[in-house]
Amino acid sequence: MAEMAIFIDVYKCTACRACQVACKNWNQLKADKTESRGSHENPTDLSANTWNRIRFREVLMPDGKIDWSFFSDRCRHCDPAPCMEASKIPEAIVKHETGAVLFGEKTKELYFQDIRDACPFDIPRMDEKSKKIVKCTLCIDRVTNGLKPSCVTACSTSALLYGPKAEMLSLAKKRVKELGGNACLYPGEEFNTIWALPDTPKHYGIAEAPKIHNYMFAGSKLFSPLGKASLAVGLIGYMRTRTERNQ
Amino acid sequence: MTNHWIDIANSDCILTMGSNPLKNHPIGFKWVMKAVERGATLISVDPRFTRTSKKSHVYAPLRSGTDICFLGGMIKYILENNLYFEEYVQEYTNASFLVNPDFKLPGENEGVFSGLKGEKTQEGYFDGKYDKATWSFQKDEKGKIKKDPTLKDPLSVFQLLKKHYARYDLDIVSSITGCPKEDLLAVYKEYAKTGVPNKTGTVLYAMGWTQHTVGTQNIRTMCIIQLLLGNMGMAGGGINALRGESNVQGSTDHGLLFHIYPGYLKSAKASQATFSDYNKANTTVSDDPMSLNWWKNYPKYSASLMREFYGKDVSLEDAYSYLPKIDDGVDHSWLTIFEKMYEKKIKGFFSWGQNPACSGANANKTRESMKNLDWMVTVNLFDNETSSFWRGPGMNPKEIKTEVFLLPCAASFEKEGSITNSGRWMQWRYKAVSPPGDAMSDADIINILLNRLKKVYAKEKSVFPDPILKLRWEYGPKDSKGNIKHIDIPMVAKEINGYFVEDKIIKGKIYNKGMLVPNFTLLQDDGSTSSGCWIYSGSYTEEGNMSARRGKDDPSGIGLYPDWSWTWPLNRRIIYNRASVDKNGKPWAPHKPVIEWENNVWKGDVADGGLPPMASGKPSCYPFITQVDGVGHIFGPGLVDGPFPEHYEPLESPLDENLLSKQLVNPIVKRFDIVKGNEKINARASHDPRFPIICTTYRLIEHWQTGVMTRWQPWLVEMEPSLCVEIGGDLAEQKGIKQGDKVIVKSARGDLEAIAMVTVRWRPFRILDRLVHQVGLPYHYGWATTAERKYGKIDKKPEFFTYGDSVNILTPNIGDANTMVPESKCFMVDIVKKV
Repeated sequence: MAEMAIFIDVYKCTACRACQVACKNWNQLKADKTESRGSHENPTDLSANTWNRIRFREVLMPDGKIDWSFFSDRCRHCDPAPCMEASKIPEAIVKHETGAVLFGEKTKELYFQDIRDACPFDIPRMDEKSKKIVKCTLCIDRVTNGLKPSCVTACSTSALLYGPKAEMLSLAKKRVKELGGNACLYPGEEFNTIWALPDTPKHYGIAEAPKIHNYMFAGSKLFSPLGKASLAVGLIGYMRTRTERNQ
Repeated sequence: MTNHWIDIANSDCILTMGSNPLKNHPIGFKWVMKAVERGATLISVDPRFTRTSKKSHVYAPLRSGTDICFLGGMIKYILENNLYFEEYVQEYTNASFLVNPDFKLPGENEGVFSGLKGEKTQEGYFDGKYDKATWSFQKDEKGKIKKDPTLKDPLSVFQLLKKHYARYDLDIVSSITGCPKEDLLAVYKEYAKTGVPNKTGTVLYAMGWTQHTVGTQNIRTMCIIQLLLGNMGMAGGGINALRGESNVQGSTDHGLLFHIYPGYLKSAKASQATFSDYNKANTTVSDDPMSLNWWKNYPKYSASLMREFYGKDVSLEDAYSYLPKIDDGVDHSWLTIFEKMYEKKIKGFFSWGQNPACSGANANKTRESMKNLDWMVTVNLFDNETSSFWRGPGMNPKEIKTEVFLLPCAASFEKEGSITNSGRWMQWRYKAVSPPGDAMSDADIINILLNRLKKVYAKEKSVFPDPILKLRWEYGPKDSKGNIKHIDIPMVAKEINGYFVEDKIIKGKIYNKGMLVPNFTLLQDDGSTSSGCWIYSGSYTEEGNMSARRGKDDPSGIGLYPDWSWTWPLNRRIIYNRASVDKNGKPWAPHKPVIEWENNVWKGDVADGGLPPMASGKPSCYPFITQVDGVGHIFGPGLVDGPFPEHYEPLESPLDENLLSKQLVNPIVKRFDIVKGNEKINARASHDPRFPIICTTYRLIEHWQTGVMTRWQPWLVEMEPSLCVEIGGDLAEQKGIKQGDKVIVKSARGDLEAIAMVTVRWRPFRILDRLVHQVGLPYHYGWATTAERKYGKIDKKPEFFTYGDSVNILTPNIGDANTMVPESKCFMVDIVKKV
């Protein structure tokens, strides 16, 4: 299979949260117990049962206009993936040929906090029962059987698209260009989940891609897979201190 | 909808008012987004900044209940700036008709139209009724309506319209609606751009327009605008009601309401003793050869319905005599049913596929009323606040005698049938799985009920058994005793379409007994045809089930998809489409033609009426074929509360005066609060210092209707676990309420606990010299899935509890003057922090 990607066109997202539920439905994830805190945003955080959630943000702008923004927070499927580099067991976390970063059975043998800390976007969560580390799989069981990821299928406004990465990137770039202003491609080109953001990541309250990441990628292309891994591992410590974290 | 979902993408300007489609119609909204991508302007007018507002180019706030005032200002703007579509207005509307000189407008008649009879208080008239004698047109000696095509005669509809809305100037509209003048102008300017022939604007409305004492007139105001701008019948135009439930369109088409039979035929009245009386009262007559006057066909449709009900062995007269008759002037709408139940005049009640204890306005009254029943049958998927009303909050089961039966029924995926969407598309769907346990389809439950009733009527000597015993029931294969075990849904669909019940020759063509009728133009008034709902005639013919078609071709290029499912009437996708072309049959908007006259045939959609264009020299017709005079009604004498919409305050208002006139509220509305004094159950609190805050209601995307289906679903409860009241920051600060606090919202009728959601999306309105606050709460919640209630041994507990009861605890039981739809969108409350 070719390298694929999900493109999230934030301009088209209506925060209907069909993707949030579709993810739980396909992956048979339980609901988290929640309470209303005065926002429509719920659950309040990603969890072992919540791999995709819409973040809501409302602001009264200085000009009196209201800005209400929505962002689907989920694994960015980095390439290369810092979580994979942080994994001490090679087969616990793998990068699939479709671009999906996959957490396997062996993640229960990993030290969870290492993996979580390695992630610039604070995505991985541990399932308390099985001790497995879990997150979005890019619906690997669907896409390898000819289906689109569950969230993409559920999206009524085509804010979510799935296809060959080159095609998704070009659509994303086109949207960024159309939007102009602060619009940007997020987190960057070296990811298998990409967003066209109408405003800066800061506006959405989300972590920017660590600058080191692109450098690491550029370097890694020059090295053999083994070299890539060792380079990345060497950079992890640097990344941890430099990574701009969400919370 | 006059148009349909896909057609929204053809629009140049989309006004969402009285609706929040992005949240409540998320799938359909993709057509709005397509229009926007093609360059359309999206406008959101809403008291609260909604998700639709977020996506809109123009947002304007308005105080709930002031839509007529807002739109009246737009009419004035369009007329004074000559932005209307002149040829369309002259030729296709009644703007040129001359009105009776004795007719008086509210501006010259203390805020009411001429002819009002009723009692008068300080607030003006109440419980009134109009004598419509002066709401008429001048006629010449031959009885033809007098017209002034120049539209200059001071008694022409056009000049009267101008005079009526001249009062709605920017200052007064801004003072009443609370909408800043620049926002009003921004909306008027953008929408009025669609007055040029090749541009179209559409309106998407929902319960935000209907749930008011002036609900029908809200929509009428927009109809006038659409006629002035030439937007009716056009691609990307029309008046489009977004239905609040997936098959509301279908159920209304099939006579769900008390005043109509299937196909919008009228319910029989006590004064119409015979079938010919009934037909005469409902058949319209026109002397104008250019008026197709569609309702002249009424007897064909009513006769076909009698045949479907009682078959050809019962005469049409006898069949009619079997129908229950409604006393003249008496209404049996929802609010009245519960008033009668409260008065102990109704003893038994079927609550079928609904949850009135949560869904009906003034829920405390609804719940109290149920105590007066001897029996209640509820047919539903789950136990709910209605079937368990006797153990709800404040109830003492020991004191309640009502016997309740809960019949489990199949969900939509567990049965075959059709659903008619907002765009009148009848779409067939198949059964996916069988219903669980004892649950069965509604049709099978009705079948058993009828069989039992027939047995009882046959066995016991009843006074009038024929209406039950002779009822025709050809909806499935019969056993040796003549009983049907299971209803065959395609057979029902065929009965709705209609049959020839005897051999018939029409225009030289032979139609044999037992043949399905090709469409309603072949229905007969002599009893030779049957049809269960004439507008659906053509949906299931000898060629098969039209609604099951899934053809994806779109030769029109404007998204008509004529081979996908089937649309009433006659598979016409855009109704009034004759108004989309000039008198020569050429489209006003050639780049998006709905129909076009070419080589002596209509191309495109199924043309209204079918006849050639008006200037063809051949027999032709005016475009609005269901109107007796064939034109669009700018002056609309059909409604009970005025031929032009006039602003009145909601029954509960922050104001004690109507800034436009001396008449405070709609004088025609049925006033339960006056009839019953001010007792709590029918209480009203207008301009009352105890309730200074305006309140409205709306829906969430995550829950469905009263939540009976969704409050059990953990994934949905996870997202929206609690009833929240959205309040603006200023009000929250005044009241000492913080984000997430528990609060009590109080109205004259009840108190309701909720979680405070403090938001910048609600801002106060400047009304005259003061700020008025508004808050809002969603529908969907109920006590049955909360932690506070008692769960018995056999009661299922939800995996996650919800918090909060129905918002209808707060809403008033006062209905629209024309439809009795309750005013759930605007009432007065107070809000306090729970201690």
